[in-house]
Amino acid sequence: MKRVAIVVFPGTNSEEETLRALSAAGVEAEIVHWSRGSATLRAFDAYVLPGGFAYEDRVRAGAVAAHDEVMDAVIEGAQAGKFVIGICNGAQVLLEAGLVPGTGPLRRPTAAFAPNAGGKFLSVHVFVRLAVDPERVPVLRGLPAGALIPAWASHGEGRLAASEDELDALERDGHAAFVYCNARGERVRAHNGSARDVAGLTNRDGNVLALMPHPERDGWTFMHRDGDADKAAARGNAQAMLAPSGGAIFFQAFAAALGAAVPGR
Amino acid sequence: MSEAVERAYVITLTIPDNEAFTALTTLARMGLTVDTAVRSDIWIATVDAGHAAALDAAIGTFETIYNPNKHRLEIRTDARPRPGEVWITARDETPAITVAGRTVAGVRGIVRRTAWRLLDEHGADVPPAVLDRATESFLCNPAFQKAIR
Repeated sequence: MKRVAIVVFPGTNSEEETLRALSAAGVEAEIVHWSRGSATLRAFDAYVLPGGFAYEDRVRAGAVAAHDEVMDAVIEGAQAGKFVIGICNGAQVLLEAGLVPGTGPLRRPTAAFAPNAGGKFLSVHVFVRLAVDPERVPVLRGLPAGALIPAWASHGEGRLAASEDELDALERDGHAAFVYCNARGERVRAHNGSARDVAGLTNRDGNVLALMPHPERDGWTFMHRDGDADKAAARGNAQAMLAPSGGAIFFQAFAAALGAAVPGR
Repeated sequence: MSEAVERAYVITLTIPDNEAFTALTTLARMGLTVDTAVRSDIWIATVDAGHAAALDAAIGTFETIYNPNKHRLEIRTDARPRPGEVWITARDETPAITVAGRTVAGVRGIVRRTAWRLLDEHGADVPPAVLDRATESFLCNPAFQKAIR
């Protein structure tokens, strides 16, 4: 089994729930603090950058972490074909590092998850839909076409921003991996003003994915928003409440990808 | 309507600035020789000329943006970066008409930017090439920000 490092920076705050979600999907994962350095990270087969506020979002969300020494290992690994997922703040780090969408030089971002339209921190339940051919994102092997994933969006900077030419290229070349949608899978206007309603981006090879909402926060029935039919049906039944559901398919797809041969390794 | 004038209110911490220190460590990791990074909040107002003096006085009373116990306030009568400064702002910055949530007579619009100065060990500005590299590779994300020199 491939080993996954959950990379923690000072200010990361979602590593435990990310570990739970990965473990539930059968992934062998370990929390690795930035202070252990890139040499430690290089021994892992894949990386997940969880949510939080790395370095307190100083200068700009993700900007300082993108230059951290441990990111050298993540960047080298990504370029060698290792799988990398960034969720929320982790997604911001990947964009600042230039790994996603990967259309420019490293650490010279061509896109950003910028402050939300309206300037407010938003915490809302959302659905995201796989908007590209599943073959385009080998980091999530096995997701069906148009896969619908529930998640909680919880960010102040989740609005995809880039030049119009860059946005056109991102859509044309299959970088816009996930878009916001409703429970029926119909694309909806992003709550945060994200360009083209994009919730997640991938790189050219599809081995690196940056997703703003948190699927790990909707991985069990009890985590659903109130009013959800499954949650209502599970009321009074602890076993049903604790059953994996919703966002779990995201991590199951990552587990399936890890079970396959890692490209370039 | 009276003539409008510009004001730039430059607010800088006088106590240690953790964000600037973190930026400094990142710049060092990038291989840039910088001794001190100075970060300031800049509030740029377009205000009716007849109300400018009142706004100057009011800014110093808005404790959410200026605390005399830990900030220095410099009032400039133009809104241009000084040599050695770079201002970072959103590409789509939209002027507000309130200052720190308050309405001030004569204010037509106000925007907030971040100013950076990078100094060498002698307290002088670093060479322009160093500031350029710091800006392009770290201080500014051109996907949604612009750097004003």
